[in-house]
Amino acid sequence: MSFDRFSSFSAGRVKSVIVAILFALVLCPVVTSPTDAQERPRRERPPVTRGELVPIKPPPAPPAAAAEQKRETEAEKPQLLPETVQADVSTRNVAVTSSFTGTEIVVFGAVDNSRQDSPQAGLYDVVIVIEGVPGRVSARRKSRVGGIWLNTNSALFDDVPSYYAIASTRPLDEITSDATLIGYEIGFDHVRMTPIGNDGRPLNVADRMPPAELKQFREAVIRLKQKDGLYVAEEYSVAFIGRSLFRATISLPANVPVGPFVTRVYLFRGQQLLSQYNVRLVLEREGFERIMHEFALKRPLAYGIMTVLLAIMAGLAASTVFRKGSH
Amino acid sequence: MSIYLPIAEMSVNIWLILGLGGGVGFLSGMFGVGGGFLMTPLLLFIGIPTAVAVGTEAAQIVASSASGALAQWRRRNIDFKLGFVLLVGGIIGAYIGTDLVKVLRRSGQFDAVVSITYVILLGSVGTLMMIESINTIRKVSAGKPQVHRKSGQHSWIHGLPFKMRFQRSKLYISAIPPLLLGTFVGLLSAIMGVGGGFIMVPAMIYLLRMPTSVVIGTSLFQILFVTASATIFHSVQNQSVDVVLAGLLMLGGAIGAQFGTSVGEKLRGEQLRFLLAAIVLAVCLKIALGLVLTPRELFSLGFAAGGH
Repeated sequence: MSFDRFSSFSAGRVKSVIVAILFALVLCPVVTSPTDAQERPRRERPPVTRGELVPIKPPPAPPAAAAEQKRETEAEKPQLLPETVQADVSTRNVAVTSSFTGTEIVVFGAVDNSRQDSPQAGLYDVVIVIEGVPGRVSARRKSRVGGIWLNTNSALFDDVPSYYAIASTRPLDEITSDATLIGYEIGFDHVRMTPIGNDGRPLNVADRMPPAELKQFREAVIRLKQKDGLYVAEEYSVAFIGRSLFRATISLPANVPVGPFVTRVYLFRGQQLLSQYNVRLVLEREGFERIMHEFALKRPLAYGIMTVLLAIMAGLAASTVFRKGSH
Repeated sequence: MSIYLPIAEMSVNIWLILGLGGGVGFLSGMFGVGGGFLMTPLLLFIGIPTAVAVGTEAAQIVASSASGALAQWRRRNIDFKLGFVLLVGGIIGAYIGTDLVKVLRRSGQFDAVVSITYVILLGSVGTLMMIESINTIRKVSAGKPQVHRKSGQHSWIHGLPFKMRFQRSKLYISAIPPLLLGTFVGLLSAIMGVGGGFIMVPAMIYLLRMPTSVVIGTSLFQILFVTASATIFHSVQNQSVDVVLAGLLMLGGAIGAQFGTSVGEKLRGEQLRFLLAAIVLAVCLKIALGLVLTPRELFSLGFAAGGH
């Protein structure tokens, strides 16, 4: 994401933007939605890459390392071609605007060289994982101190996905072995979470809190994220609608942190992972949301002054409007 | 109808926020208080992050005190010299307060500190107001004349150095008490997301012994500038001021205050104070229970500094 637009703002431009925003806000906050549509020169979006087939061997292939190379794993078997999976998402760029209340993403795909006769045959299992931006999370635990509940213990984790959704054709433990789930970070029990110290460096096993306690914190992170609707698991939500075609609907709630997302689609047959395909999608702030958020982050002083001016104007405007007739 | 808040990073119902602004605006118009001490806890109850609630509420108080301060200025009810001394303290307090918010957020104690400060202040102010209003109601119904404090009494305050003459307030006192009072209120303003009028007004009357005529104007003047600087400090230090949320609260508050004022004019002073004390104590109790009762979920996800 680039913030160049804001860092190159001239004073005059800031002033005119402030005036425009003041008006928009003072008049009525509802008016802000239409102003979103106000055309600003189109930003250059990061080019949307096509999804990619991820080579399965050697096993754990982290999404970051997955290069563009398509390795044709043509089997030696003479007759049956190996099955591979391809997939895409219904929306690759989700715009977060003032009216954003969450959205639904349809993930659809197909099994190449499918050997099943009908959608009901159940020969294949598909697991879809959508992962948000990895980031730091601090988990805190309260305990009673002199009659009051205070945060006393805490654990810091890095690389925790901001969002994690799993959709599958069946419960995960019926689809494949634990080893595979661990290797590919599939399922809440295997979401990546690196315990780090206060300096931000990963902790050695020796420096960590006792495993049982760490596990409690880990589970708490998952539980709280689930409560916020940010970690979602839906078994039986991937459905085959043809011999090779499947689809799943995954919902992104309104509180999903923006950023690039990775969708990983896995194809299994008889507990064996046959193929993996990755697709990217991006959640971006757009329009008014983007202007305000970047303004607040990049020019906090100007943003603060603008807010104060807006408040004074709103206060004075209210008193003039309502004082009519009384004085 | 929902709107996505750019800083709070959540979607809220517009009517809920306007309603909150209107309801608190009604009460603040009725009682002549800022309403920050009601609004900040309410914002927390609907799930706005504590830092955003506190920072944004400071911005809303700027709006609600601006019109009041202007009206008082027109009636020449502001002691600018004393107000300026209070303000110097207030800005120092607000600066220290916003820095403290940053430190407390990192250590995970911010929410608890906000709650405890609320319980202590609302509890003591509410209790005092409740006792005073009940006594007054009793005296009024018994038909006894109300006893007013005599001005000109001397106290320990008059022994302090750095005396200044404040013509408008007819005071010749040390600059230290107003400076300290300003700092204290500025600190509270930054941490609690309140204007601090409920501390400032009694302190001006009973501690500084200012004439009542200039108390409201001067405290509004101080509140306006302290919350304005708190808004800016919060924006810079914590990026926690949500302009969309603030705008909605201002709109609701402005409308609510108009109705509140006309209702307030029909009630007697001590009745108003009794009602206000009851509300203050109810908010205090609700926050206190949150601190004392065993929470259903012991864990929480916090603000992690340096995340990407």
